[in-house]
Order: sequence, then C-alpha cells, then structure tokens
Amino acid sequence: MFRYISKIIRYWSLKNKNKSQDTAPGKVNNEPLSSDLKRNLEVIKGILRDSSDVTFHEFNFGHERKFKGALVFINSLTDKNEIHKNILQPLMYDVLLLKKDVSMDFSKIDTIGKNLISIAGTNKLTLLNDLLDHLLAGSTILLVDGSKEALAIECHKMESRSIEEPGTEAVVRGPREGFNENVNVSIALIRRKIKDPDLCVEKFKIGERTRTGVYIVYIKGVANPELIEEIRKRLSRIKVDAILESGYIEQFIEDAPYSIFPTVSNSEKPDKVVSKILEGRAAILVDGTPFVLVVPMLFIESFQSGEDYYSRPFLASIMRIVRFLSYIISTLGPAIYVALTVFHQELIPTQLLISIAAGRERVPFPAILEALLMIFTFDILREAGVRLPKAVGQTIGIVGALVLGQASVEAGLISPIMVIVVSSTAIASFAVPAQTDSGTILRYLFLALAGLAGGFGIIMGLLATLLHLASLRSFGTPYLWPIVPLNFTGLKDTFIRMPLWAMPKRSSVIVWNEKGSHRQSPGLAPSPYRKDSDGSK
Amino acid sequence: MNIEKGKICNMQLLFLIASFVQGSVLLIDFTVGITEHQTWMVILAGLVIAIPFFLSYITLAKRFKGMNVVQINDMVYGRFLGKVISVYYIFFLMMTLSFNIRDVGELHITFLMPDTPFIFLLAVFAATCAYAVAKGLEVLARISHLFAIVGIVVPISTFILLVDQMNFSNFLPLFEVPFIKMFHGTHIMLSIPFGETIVFLMIMGSLDDTEHMARNALIGLLIGTTSLLVVSIRNTAVLGNTQAIWTSPSFQSIRLIDIGTILTRMDFLIGIAQTVLIFFKCCIFFYALVTAVSQLLGLKSYSPLVLPLAGIEVIIAATVFQSPVDHASITQDAGIMYSVPLMFLIPPLTLLIAKIRGLPRPERGKGA
Amino acid sequence: MRKKINILATELILCFLMLFMLSGCTGGREINDLEIVIGMGIDKDKDTGKILLTAQVVKEGELGKLSGSGGGGADAKAFWNVSGTGNSVFEAVRQITHKTGNRLFVSHNHAVIFGNDLATEGLQKYIDFFLRAHEMRPTAMILIAENRASDVMDAKPETEKLPAMNIAKLVKAYGFTSHFYKVNMKEFASCLMSETKSPLAPLVGVSQDKDSEDIYVSGMAVFKKDKIVGKLNEHETRGLLWVLGEVKSGVLIVSSPNKEGNAVLEILEAKSKVKPEIKEGKIVINVRINAETSLSEQTTSENLATIEAFEKMQDAQAEIIRHEIMMTFDKSKELNADIFGFGEMIRKKYGKEWKDFKDNWDEIYSTIKLNIDIDVKIQKTDLLKKPAAQKEEGK
Repeated sequence: MFRYISKIIRYWSLKNKNKSQDTAPGKVNNEPLSSDLKRNLEVIKGILRDSSDVTFHEFNFGHERKFKGALVFINSLTDKNEIHKNILQPLMYDVLLLKKDVSMDFSKIDTIGKNLISIAGTNKLTLLNDLLDHLLAGSTILLVDGSKEALAIECHKMESRSIEEPGTEAVVRGPREGFNENVNVSIALIRRKIKDPDLCVEKFKIGERTRTGVYIVYIKGVANPELIEEIRKRLSRIKVDAILESGYIEQFIEDAPYSIFPTVSNSEKPDKVVSKILEGRAAILVDGTPFVLVVPMLFIESFQSGEDYYSRPFLASIMRIVRFLSYIISTLGPAIYVALTVFHQELIPTQLLISIAAGRERVPFPAILEALLMIFTFDILREAGVRLPKAVGQTIGIVGALVLGQASVEAGLISPIMVIVVSSTAIASFAVPAQTDSGTILRYLFLALAGLAGGFGIIMGLLATLLHLASLRSFGTPYLWPIVPLNFTGLKDTFIRMPLWAMPKRSSVIVWNEKGSHRQSPGLAPSPYRKDSDGSK
Repeated sequence: MNIEKGKICNMQLLFLIASFVQGSVLLIDFTVGITEHQTWMVILAGLVIAIPFFLSYITLAKRFKGMNVVQINDMVYGRFLGKVISVYYIFFLMMTLSFNIRDVGELHITFLMPDTPFIFLLAVFAATCAYAVAKGLEVLARISHLFAIVGIVVPISTFILLVDQMNFSNFLPLFEVPFIKMFHGTHIMLSIPFGETIVFLMIMGSLDDTEHMARNALIGLLIGTTSLLVVSIRNTAVLGNTQAIWTSPSFQSIRLIDIGTILTRMDFLIGIAQTVLIFFKCCIFFYALVTAVSQLLGLKSYSPLVLPLAGIEVIIAATVFQSPVDHASITQDAGIMYSVPLMFLIPPLTLLIAKIRGLPRPERGKGA
Repeated sequence: MRKKINILATELILCFLMLFMLSGCTGGREINDLEIVIGMGIDKDKDTGKILLTAQVVKEGELGKLSGSGGGGADAKAFWNVSGTGNSVFEAVRQITHKTGNRLFVSHNHAVIFGNDLATEGLQKYIDFFLRAHEMRPTAMILIAENRASDVMDAKPETEKLPAMNIAKLVKAYGFTSHFYKVNMKEFASCLMSETKSPLAPLVGVSQDKDSEDIYVSGMAVFKKDKIVGKLNEHETRGLLWVLGEVKSGVLIVSSPNKEGNAVLEILEAKSKVKPEIKEGKIVINVRINAETSLSEQTTSENLATIEAFEKMQDAQAEIIRHEIMMTFDKSKELNADIFGFGEMIRKKYGKEWKDFKDNWDEIYSTIKLNIDIDVKIQKTDLLKKPAAQKEEGK
C-alpha cells in the first residue's frame, strides 16, 4: 500500500518538475549587436517600446561631427548630471580640444572608453541580452555607429535609506548600525569590519524578471569550500521570476522545508553577521532587503545574542539560561498547566490546588478550551499590535490587558491563574525572537497533546520534537550541535558563555581544517602580575 | 547486504547500551517481590554472570564485521536452519517489545492517568516509537546520551532527596532470602536487563570501528547497571520491608519525598524518567525488529514495515495479558524461560561453529 | 523517498490520535469536578456496625473569599464534613458521592484518623484501601482518635481554616516537645508487616476550653498486631523517642543543685546508638544516648552557670532520661508490645539465632535487659550569664 502511495506521489512530483521545465521563465535573446547604430536602436526600442522612462539620445561627435553615437538609459535609475558631465561633455566638446592631427578612430568603442569617458566602471558588451541586463540595472549604454560593441557605463543613482538602527535586534551595548535595502551599503558595512583579502563576495543574479543581485560573502580558508559549493549549487538551481526578499531565497535553499524549525538564520546587524562569517559560516546578501541570511544555522544560535559577547560573561551566562527557560516556558507553559490541572491534580501542592480550584469555580469552560481561548486572544493582540502605528499599538495593549484580561476574570470566564500562565508565556515568547515561529506552533501542539493525554502526551511530544530536531541538518551541520552530538568544546558557549579568552577554538562542527579552527592564541587570560606585561611598560 | 546504511560510533554504542540497560529500571519491580532487600545482590550477580555472554555477543559481532544477526545465522547455519533461528530471534523481539510497551501503559494507567483508555496510551506510545525508528538508527544513536543522562541524573537526585528517610539497616540481615529465590531473582535479572542486550547483535553491525567495541560496550553496561543499583538501593533503604508489597516501589519511594513541605509530590520525575527510558529501550527493540524482519524478507528498506509492525505490537501488548498480575507472574516465571536458549545457548554455539567452519570466509563476506 | 513518506504517515497518525481530544474520552477531570478531600475520619457506626467514613472536603469558594477580600462570609465554614456508611472503606467512599455528586479526590488527604472503637477491633482490614488506592499517598499521616474520629473532624480551629490541615500541622510540630511522633501510612504498614515490631500512632483528641473546641495531639497509641492494646503518655513517648533517636527538642526539668528550685533545660540535639547483644542466650540491648541541652529557664536565684552546677544538672538530666526510658520499657513489657523494634534489630544482626527467638518472641521480650548509657552536655546558657537576683554572700 505504501509503495502504491509513494509511486503516486513520485509521479506527481516528477510531473510537476517536467511542467516547470517547460514553462521556465526567461527569454533567449542571444543576438549579437550589429554594427549599424540605427538597427541596434530599433531593436532596443522594439523591446522597450512601452517603457516611457527610457531615453534614447542620439548625437554626433568628434571633429566635424562625423561620428554618430547614441546613449540609452533609464531616467529613473541614472544620474543625469553625471551623464552630462562625464559622457556627453567629453564626447561632444572636450574631444575638440584634441589636436586635429591626432587620428583616433572613434567608431571603435574601446578608443572612446579608454580616452574620453571619465567614469570608472565601464563594460564592453557584444550581446543584446547583456546590453538589456545592464540597461535595466541602471547603467547607461553608449552605442556608436560602426561598432559591434556597446559600452555600459555605470552612473546609477540609487535612492536609499541612511544607515539606521534596526528595529528587530536592538541592543544596549554594541554597534547600532543595521543593514540597508541597498546591497552595496550592506556589503560596505561588512567590508568595513573585515579588512581581509580573503573575504570573498560572489555575485549571483537570480530571478528571471527581477534579476536580483544575490551575494555570497565568506572568508576563503575559514569557510568550508564544500559549504560554499553547496550554497552555489542550491542558489543556481533557483529558477523563479522574482526574488523580493531574502525570505524567497531562504525557502528555496533550506534543508528541511517541512520543519517548523528554521535552518537558515537571518540578521539585520552587521556585527552579528560578521561574527558568524568569522566563524566559518557564509552570509547571503540579497539586494533590496536589510535581512541577511547566514548558513549553516544551529539551534543554539537562537539563544545567543551579540550582546552576550560584548558584556562580561557572568550576566551573559545567566541571560543565556534565562533564554532557554523562556523558550521552555513559552512552549510548554500552558500545556503543563492544563496537564496538571486536568490530569495530575495530585502533583499540585495542596494550598496551590485549593487556590486554583477557587479561581476556577465559576469558569464554564474546560481548562483546555480556556487555555486555547487565551492563547488565541494573545496571538490576535500581538498580530494587531505589530501592524499598527506605535500610538495605536499602545491602545491595543491597554485594551488587551485591562479590558480583556481583567474583565474576563471578573466576569468569571477565565480563571486568574490562567491569565498569569498565558501572560507569562506571552512574555517569555519574546525572549527568543529567532524561535518565535516554532515556539508559537509548538505551544498549540503541546497544548493539544496535554489536553489529549496529559503528562504522557507532553513527554511523547517532547520525544518526537527531540527526534525531529536531532534528525535536522543545516547545510550538513547537525542542527542540535553541540548537544546532539555531544561536544564539550561547544558546550563552553551553550548553556553558559565562557570568557572569550577561554574559547580559543571555533565551533568544530563548522570549521573544516586545523588552520581555520583557531580564533586566538591560547593562554590569553588577563592577569596583572604576568611578567611580560610588566616588561612592556 | 546489511539493511542499515547508517553508521554509529563507539561512544554512541556506549550510551546506547547504557540507556538500554537503564530502560529496564521498571522491571526491577518484578524481582523485588522475590528477593526483597537483597535485590542489589541479585543485580550484581546478574551482571557478573551476564558479562561472559555479553562478551560472546561482542565477539560474534566483531567476527562478522558489518553483519547483523540474521545474516550471521544464514551464514553459519545455512539457509534453512539459519532462517529458523532468525524467526526465533524475531519472535523474541516481538514478545519482549510488546511486554515493554505494555509496561509503559500499565505504569501510566496505575499511577498517572487512571481514567485514560489503555489502548490509546499504547497506540500513542507505539506511534512515537515508530516515528523514532522511521528516523533511523543514526538519529537514535545520536540522542542516546541524553537518555543516559536522564537515567543517571534522576536516580541520583532522588537518592539525594531521600537520604534523610533512608535506613540502611534495611539491608540486614545479609543472607536471609532462600537460595532458590535468589537464583530465581538472578535469572530474571540475567534475562531482562542483561540478556536482552542480545538485540545489539542487530545494531553492532552498523558500528564504524569495532576495535574498541568491547571496552565501550562494557562501560555502557556498567553505567546502566549503576543506575539500576542506585534505584534498587534507594528503594530498599527507603521502603524497607514494605517494598515487596507495592506495585511500583520506585513510585512509592519518590512519593515519600518531603523536604521542607515544598519539594513534595515529585512523582513526575520518576514518571518522566521511566517513560523516557523505556521509550528508548522500545525504540532499540523496535528498530532491531523491523530490520530483522526486513532482512529476513529480503526487503530493500525497512520503512514499509514500521507502521504495520507497530500496529501488531500494540495489539499484542493490549491482549497478551489479562491483568498486571498475569503479566508479573508470567514475566517472572514462564516469560523469561523462552528466551534462555536464544540468549545463552545460541550465541556461544554460533561462535563455536563459526570458528570450526572458519567463517566468515573473506570472499563470501558480502553475500547474504 | 519512501522513508520520508513513512515519516509523514507516522506524523499523520500522531495527528489523528490527537483528534481523540475532541471526544474528550481520554480521562481528564476538570478541577471543578473534584471534591478535594484533606482529611478522613473512620468510625464504627454504633447502630448498624458498619463503617462510618467522614471526609473533610474543601469548599474552595469560601476559602478563596476568606483569604481574599474578607467580605461577609467570615463565619462561613471553609470545609464540609460529609459522611457515608458502608461495609468497607471503599464502599463508604463511593457512598459519599450520593451527597457530593462528584468523586472524592483523596490525593491531598493529609490525615487519616481512626476511631478508638475501630482500633480496638483491628485496623488490618481498614487500612488496605489507604495503601492500595492510587490517589492515596504514603505520606498521609495516620492518627488514632481518643474517642470518635468524626468529633475530631468537626472541631473548628481558630487560626487554620481547615481542621485536617490543622491536625497535619500539629503532628508535624512534634519536634517542639517530642511528646508524640509522626507516623505515616508507609511506616504504619511497615510495622504491620513486621513479625515483632508494634505499630504506633499518635493520639488525637478534642479538649473543651470555655467556649472553644481545640484539637490536641499527645501521646501514642500502642498496637499489638493491628489491635490497640494501650497508650503511651507524653513522657513514655519521649522515652521511646530517646531510644529511637528521634527526639528533636523538648523540655527537661531538673531540680537545681541546692534543691531550692528548678532548672529548665531545652533539648538541642539527641542521638542514640542501639546495639543488641546475645549473651548466654539472653538478649541485652545496649543503648547509648548523646544529648545536648541548653539552660532556658531557672526558678531559683542560685547561679547555675558554674561548672559544678553544670555537672550536677547533667547528671540529673541523665537520670531523668534514664527514668523516662525505663518507664517506657517497663510499659512495653507490661503491654508485651515491641515498640522499640528490638526484635527487628536482633533479626538483622543475629539472623541465625533469630530463628530460635522468632516463635516465642512474646515471652523472650519480657526477659530483655536494657543497658543505658547516657551522656548529656549543657551547651549554652542563652542570654544570661547569671540570674537576675541579688548577689549572694561569699560568691
């Protein structure tokens, strides 16, 4: 029977694959350019005939104006000043300053590019397809009559935000800058932190229509070449028409698309991303979004924050443990409450049981329904609060807390202890932002299990979750490392955070060779009485 | 060809065996009724007697590197006899697994969830086991140390919590229980936690390096036994002469924890520990069962068998005994007898025959 | 591929099982549907001879109100004593559901009180339910009412809202005087199972003071097998506890060295070592007691904080302790009940000889000799170095 089902499913998936190959977007337009300017312009005009913001500027230049040329550019993407100053002016006027007897053949695009254009960043193009690519990306195209080549000159004008503090990962101590929608700014932020010639930035263009720039950033020699090859492979198999956000990329390259746990991490903060790149991971930057993807992802990364490493290790360790506990509370809190009050009343201390019973006396719903209602209400409040402007968001909070919380308790619809349980769950769920999705889903799942089979259900659910997590891999890295499989070096930075000087080695699961595994030389623990430090004074 | 392609390492084998033995913690209760305050001796005696047999399993696995017990049987006893012995082995796995599944059900029905339908508990448990086995041996092996940690931490922490209620004179007089009862108890111990390690013949073939296998496996066995000992000593010291009357001495001793009237009602600790440990034991059994059956049937993958076998196991578990009394008496007396030849006769015999016939011959090493 | 499908199928089955939740048939019970029992009293119904079981059920609503905003219900009782009769304990428990409408929930039962009449008849047949029922915890305390258990359940204490909780609190406070001892179900069962050791249980009664009824716990009931045969008074109980090493604290009064008044000492710590010996077929029990006390009060003007006075008082204390122990020992011989558990000690130490003693332990018990060795030290004199009295001449 299973064989039959699997056959059917395989058939479907293959069929879909075939179909997708047939209708894959993308036009084959590999025509070479001709040497006839008019013809070239006609072809381009034919393709872009409905785009009103494309400017075709034909002009004559050179001594006696014997050469014919044309500029093609898109108004909205280019800096016109630059075109006037650095392209048109040299071609049309400055060239006149040359002595007449200097014989230059301006029908050769090379000659123009090398001698007249005062802009760095020019590309010679021979294919129509490339020409369109560059044009649409914001370059200005120079065509000259008699040349089979065109020149793409980079004079973009990109509107972008200034560098601001990101809204998602605020810190008390640490850099406040955040990535930007403009990928060049983002790369610059990374470059500014790692001044290493081995830092590689590989470019991909993905999306048949959006032609979005996607960059893999990693350090050669630290990042595992197999990992980079795997990323290249996964990126190059993406055949879609649009990439609007890094989330699109994430969903096409992740290891476990059916899992509720993310296997690709993302961040808006350069310091965080840089630290991960230094650990041997690879960042994937996508043009148009400040969210940078980092692979591979480990489960514990969700519980580590950049601040852990900036502040001293003691409080950082406590905060680490607080985050773990918060995650447990946020996923299991209501489930444990329901399991205890519905199935295992004998495990509640007598006094507490009596107060719970007193609080629930007038409640008309079973505990499981009560918990579901409350959690659902909380999720509504959260969703409503996120989308609203800040001022209105506060109102939502007041309405939610006061009106719903207090009133429903006073009306006897909800027991006060349930309000405490759900609200502490809600607060705890914000302590681990990276796992909010999985936490929310697990909360409902475990609640159902607890209502179904009490503590037994929760244990079985936990076991199944553990098995699932243990079987996950992110780009070949075991997701639960260093807990599964056990690694003592890795545990130095898991439940507690050891001082930086006590962790000279990088995560062995990500680093691939001996050379890359050393973060710093050992024995850096500071001590005021050490001889060498005295000697230096 | 061995049906499992995944590889496990020696350290994982250590934890697999440790948590497997710890999984029998619930089954000490069967012995307590017979040997009372001398249960700890029985555990040690069982361990000492079991070690030679355990070593014979390891030697067998070492000699037939990368092969599981069904393949070994085929090779040593020939097609027909080998199959018969493998069927016996599978029968043993099926019965023991269903007993264990039933144990979990009874534990929860008796102590934690008396109003829940029995079959429902069994079904949920077996489904989770099936899920684990479907994930494969590697995943099980990778998380084995977590179970071993539970199996060590919970007995020791409860031991500490109960120290002030312990009375070590409960172990006296040292040799009061009649020899025949001690023998009976030792037999149960020998068969249940230690003899059952024969299921590892199905798993040791997946080991990547067999050189340090014996040492790691023995350490695992010792860790597991230590947990059993701690539990048994705790129960005897706390409960004294009453330990023989309770359905589950472990549960009753945990229920006695009362420290400053705050640390009370810790039943959940033992509930979680025992459920989780038996779960792991069942997973190992279930894995061995599905691989053995699929090897016997010559299937390419064991996954089509997982769900049907889980269903069969639940049905056996639900119907095999009428009541816990039935269960206890059969396990104590008849239940352990059927496995004696399998655990203590066949492996040494196989080893002997293999030695005489000079198996495995190098060129035939891969055929099956 | 196949593996993935299999995992998917397993997940689907897990989800399907979850649908059971909707049918609500998996055995949960809402807290509202529970009658939380915190104490039980068992008596013999005088008319019918059946068992009369009084269960003390918490009225959560009243309790919540009282602890909360105060309000009007200050006089309302926070408990409900509901009783049922039956031929067995369990039948009586189920009989009660006729009155409550809900099943009794006995996991939080702190104290089980047996009436005196049941105790004289034998507890063996009544205690089984309390050990067997899965909701009952082995930590529940067992007490014997001096008269009827239902009277004890009805007495309304002043500070606690719930009488049964009050009893539990009183029993747990045995350490202040060491005049009785906490016995839980497991310990009682353990004694019942022993061949020789006599079960004990604290006695609980109701005292009528002016207008209020107070519950008090004092002394122990002594059982032979499962039947009550006698009672230990406060001092006898402490005599027993000295030997068991369970004296936590308490008061010792000795007359001061010059016999003008008394010195009152608080027991700080007491340890005991009991070693049974068999000498020429006779059993001798060596008891060694180490105690530490402090001078808490004196009723004479004499300065007792001197080495000579300390020595005298220490001797006097040892004498009192010895006297208490001997008193208890004589009483136990009189009742022929092995309350100290000497039989068990012999069994554990002299396994072979025990076979000879086992059958006629009752006769042998009366021939046991007790060797008592007591060492008491006075540790401190608290805040005073000398009493607040006029200086005496010559000192």
